[in-house]
Amino acid sequence: MVTDLDHHLPAIVAGDPDAFGRWVAGAERRIRLSLRSFAARVDTEAVVQETLLRVWQVAPRFQPDGRPDGLLRLAVRIARNLAISEVRRARVDPVEVDQLERQALAWADAHLARAAEPDPLLRQLIARCRELLPDKPARALAQRLTAAGDRPDAVLAEEVGMKLNTFLQNVRRARQALLDCLQSQGVTLPEAP
Amino acid sequence: MSDPSRERQELIEAAVTAWRPTAPDGRILDHHAWRDLDAAGRIEAFDETLRAREVEAALDPQGLSGTARAVLGRLRRG
Repeated sequence: MVTDLDHHLPAIVAGDPDAFGRWVAGAERRIRLSLRSFAARVDTEAVVQETLLRVWQVAPRFQPDGRPDGLLRLAVRIARNLAISEVRRARVDPVEVDQLERQALAWADAHLARAAEPDPLLRQLIARCRELLPDKPARALAQRLTAAGDRPDAVLAEEVGMKLNTFLQNVRRARQALLDCLQSQGVTLPEAP
Repeated sequence: MSDPSRERQELIEAAVTAWRPTAPDGRILDHHAWRDLDAAGRIEAFDETLRAREVEAALDPQGLSGTARAVLGRLRRG
């Protein structure tokens, strides 16, 4: 089933951040994937976040063109332009910049319309897998999730009484254990196309 | 004695977080760990981030990843 994320648009235009959150939940993966060709040259996490902030700012002036996922298509263009600005600022060879842009455009043409299908079992299974995590990885992961990107890992590590490198290893172990647990139950997360 | 492969993995994990520094003008900046990675490490960090955000969203009651939560937090704080 393909859903048009533009059905969130009226509430987003009205300034409802919860509606924007629902739009982001459906759009983020495709925005991020559209930047894959730039991954070695720009910090795509920073670009994705900057893109989402700009989408929120421009959404009230956005004019749908009648095709589905207009706001998502705009977001992918914003993300690509931000990434290109970053690689130009880093004085990357213009030939390579053109190549990166072409790859990003080709990805968008081929994959943008394919919504990630949420696996109805995933949430249930992952919650069960989380209960099986050993104490330290569980605490580190919980700290990352609760912080929601508002504090650096050095602060989070201190808050749970771990050294930074121990904290990072535990977060990684937790995620890997969750993925292994899901896989043992026949669920694998979608790979990048 | 330090283990280069473990250090590299820690650097990648550090870059996976949704936390990013902010410039005085509000722009979101690169993570210092991402800057310290070579090209292969940055691509690995990208793929690991993709998996991490899927896991975060699946564990979140509203289906929001760390990135989504970070952005919404910035919007709400103004």
